[in-house]
Amino acid sequence: MSLRAKTAVYGILCVLAVPFLFPTWWMITSSMKPVNDIFRFPPTLWPTDVDFAAYRQVFDLQPFARQYVNSMYIAALVTVGTLAVASLAGYAFARIRFRGANLLFLVILTGLLIPSEVTIVPLFQMFHTWGMVDTHWPLILVPIFGAPSVLATFIMRQFFIALPGELEEAARMDGLGRFGMFARIALPLARPALGAVAIFTFLHSWNLYLEPIVFLSTKERFTLPQALTQFVDAYGGPMWNVQLSAATLTAIPVLIVFVIAQRQFVEGLAHTGLKG
Amino acid sequence: MRTRVLAAALAGLLALGTAACGGEDPADTGPVSLRMTVWTSNEAHLKLFTDIATAYKASHPTVSEIKFDPIPFENYTTTLTTQIAGGNGPDLAWILENSAPDFVNSGALADLSGKITESADLSASAAKLWTVDGKLYAYPFSTSPFGVFVNTTMFTAAGLSSPADMVKNGQWTWDNVVKAGATINAKTGKAGMVVRDFDYKSWDNLASVWRGWGAQAWSEDGKTCGFNQQPMVDAMTFLHKGIFTDKAFPGPGTTADFFAGQSAMTITQISRASLLKDAKFTWDLVPLPTGPSGKYAVIGQAGLGALKKGKHADVAADFLAFFTNPENSAKLAAYFPPPRKSQLTAENLAKTNPLLKPEQLQAVVIDGISTGVVKPSHIGQAELAQAVRAGLDPLWKPDADVKAVLDGVCSSISAQLAK
Amino acid sequence: MQNTFWTSRRRDHLAGYLFVAPQLIGSIVFVFVPLGLIFWYSLHEWNVLAGTFEFTGPDNYDQLANDPKLGSVLTATGLFSAGLVVLNLSLALLLAVLLNQRLRGTVAFRTIFFSPVVVSLVAWTIIWGFLLQDNGGVNGLLQAVGADGPNWLRGETTAMISVIVVQVVKNVGLNMVLFLAALQGVPGDLYEAATIDGAGRWRQFRSITVPMISPTILLTSIITVVGSLQVFAQIAVLTQGGPGTSTTVLVYYLYQQAFQFHHFGYGATLSVLLFAIVLILTVVQWQMRKKWVFHES
Repeated sequence: MSLRAKTAVYGILCVLAVPFLFPTWWMITSSMKPVNDIFRFPPTLWPTDVDFAAYRQVFDLQPFARQYVNSMYIAALVTVGTLAVASLAGYAFARIRFRGANLLFLVILTGLLIPSEVTIVPLFQMFHTWGMVDTHWPLILVPIFGAPSVLATFIMRQFFIALPGELEEAARMDGLGRFGMFARIALPLARPALGAVAIFTFLHSWNLYLEPIVFLSTKERFTLPQALTQFVDAYGGPMWNVQLSAATLTAIPVLIVFVIAQRQFVEGLAHTGLKG
Repeated sequence: MRTRVLAAALAGLLALGTAACGGEDPADTGPVSLRMTVWTSNEAHLKLFTDIATAYKASHPTVSEIKFDPIPFENYTTTLTTQIAGGNGPDLAWILENSAPDFVNSGALADLSGKITESADLSASAAKLWTVDGKLYAYPFSTSPFGVFVNTTMFTAAGLSSPADMVKNGQWTWDNVVKAGATINAKTGKAGMVVRDFDYKSWDNLASVWRGWGAQAWSEDGKTCGFNQQPMVDAMTFLHKGIFTDKAFPGPGTTADFFAGQSAMTITQISRASLLKDAKFTWDLVPLPTGPSGKYAVIGQAGLGALKKGKHADVAADFLAFFTNPENSAKLAAYFPPPRKSQLTAENLAKTNPLLKPEQLQAVVIDGISTGVVKPSHIGQAELAQAVRAGLDPLWKPDADVKAVLDGVCSSISAQLAK
Repeated sequence: MQNTFWTSRRRDHLAGYLFVAPQLIGSIVFVFVPLGLIFWYSLHEWNVLAGTFEFTGPDNYDQLANDPKLGSVLTATGLFSAGLVVLNLSLALLLAVLLNQRLRGTVAFRTIFFSPVVVSLVAWTIIWGFLLQDNGGVNGLLQAVGADGPNWLRGETTAMISVIVVQVVKNVGLNMVLFLAALQGVPGDLYEAATIDGAGRWRQFRSITVPMISPTILLTSIITVVGSLQVFAQIAVLTQGGPGTSTTVLVYYLYQQAFQFHHFGYGATLSVLLFAIVLILTVVQWQMRKKWVFHES
């Protein structure tokens, strides 16, 4: 590639990278500034007086540590549950020929088309009848069986379709039942797809915003996205520096994990067979 | 083997189902737990409430718990109504003055007539918004007039006479306020006057400005639109000029917090005085400036109601009566100006408002409450407010045609007002 | 007794049903039952505060047909979705093509472009809310290069552009990765043969690359279109549907009606409309695949 072309490519990439990098940079540096500096115009790229007071306030004003744990364990449960449900269903749709399989798959697939805002009120009614409002149950059960898990099933099915049939033939000869074939042969081979699904699912649960707002009313049960919008002073004015600190605390761990594991991340996604 | 596993799973599922469903026993004879939604998370406020609750529990052993549940102010009414919609409503709730008509007329609140101790002491004007057909549905525990906090350090630095002097000399007018704001902004770059909580979204806070022209959002009976009447047009034209030509107010999208020292003046309710505890500048509290139609006062209110659908509506109403009796009312007066005429004296308020001087309290609070007009409210408030807000958006541009925008507002809300 | 009913095939069928049962039952309970309830609510007038729930039949649908605001809501929704899909797909393809050139440092760039995907959506939106203020970071940056930025969230067009850009930057990394994978699956000899035949880069892109990755384009297009109709948090946090009603898209209008104005019945009606639109668009796109997607027979 010519030098001119190379410079052009790098140039474009650098310019395009700005809106991707700048917000995260700004969030981190602003969280370390005293409140008045955040709105200084023109804004400074680097904090002039570093002030970590806002970070302490994050924990004083909300049970933030508890909310962090909430988000984490809910996302973990949802991921494990989705992996189980989706891999089972995806495998069945891919490898087992049973009557009505295609129709059932299409029916399940339409779940992808329904936005959560549409079903939130009836879901609220249902969970209220079961006495589960202001608990974490809606946040765990709905993602495991709703739209995100349908996408997961789709991905797992794509993956299992591509598996060579000989392995299972051999297993059947050895007397393994269907579940055995699934658990001992297919599943271990599905690691890249499982990894991609796990990432998708974890992120989706981590970022849920409408559902916690609708279902949860006790602060100790809030999740992180919800907690982020709660940092207001006694009269409702947002406390900018505290909000940014909380946002930084929310984003940084995930970002660090991502940077470390980004190769597996990206390659897992690429190998999901979503190519079509 | 398989059938046994299946049976166990089914049994477990059924058990889970009944456990979840079976928890709806009305606890008539069991311990009573009450929840009151509030919009403040100020520690001092909550401590006061908890102390009052402890006193009540001591004399009412069946009540085991009284929780105060802060919901953020910005979405308070939406969140409260969503809770009620889902059957998860509180026993007691604070109510904003702008949603008073909706709540009071809906039949959702319990009738408090006869329960309030010494109700004759309540100021009639304070209770007006919360009464329907002579019955009181919510106790107006806080009547908070709007005043102007001023940063006297900034005034002196800009070479202007202090607002207190201007008040004394009868020069505290809107024209002069804009001139002062423009001067300070030109000299120091800091904002002149900030109408707090307006932020180009919550337009009902502009009532603290347009009353100076005698304007109103809608007629007394709520049926006629007031936005395109002459007083409002004049008020909005003045405001528009002040924002875009004189630059006395910060423009849309610019934040300036008076309490952080970023503006010279701010219009807000006096309860914000507590934010000035650690102020690094000298400040003063003065009444609203006079407008072309003379002196005026605007008040915000907050009511406390008991929800009829609550599990223990009687106990809730009883606690409400206790919470608002003369003795506790005096304690609440520390932060929330009471509706009880006997307690509305400058000395009384000053005792519990250490940051404000009796003269300030008399001029702003007491006179304000007796003459003040409440912020606009109407049935179907949420939808109406959103329509007005959307209608006013074109006004906040440098080249807006004020009359045309206001006509637009009226045409978009006239159908709803007529209901 | 001989177990002749449960032949190995029948056992296999049973396994199939059992495997999909959790997903299927779950979908019915948490997706289809609520959907049915939504249809049911749309036939009622539900006053929350007064506690009344009256059957009103098609009244809500009449209201929908005559709603003066519906036109602007649908226009806003159309503009938003179209803008988002076009920007997202073209940017994703551009980035994928650029990163597919075997140059040093592409891994770092890939990480940068993907990073917003993992940042919390609410955090991301709040940050952009700051940056887009008249005296915020974006205008500061523009000032540094001598340009004068508008008041982003306060103009009708600029607000729409802002919301689109914020959403695209957040999610384009995902589509970029999918396109990258697809690009890497195109056999290199196709390009070699084309170069020998004298085809320039652009011609190669148009006639080789695009058809070869068209299945991926179709799939990401469907997912992005469906996703664009569900964008809620950005609008709720950044513009609250304003200025005026310029960014009130259908899903946000639904939220206003149901949760802010407490017209739950009418909100349900809007939900039905939204579902219908999504369904139609998806079916149309899927049917078009015979025309647009290149199949190696």
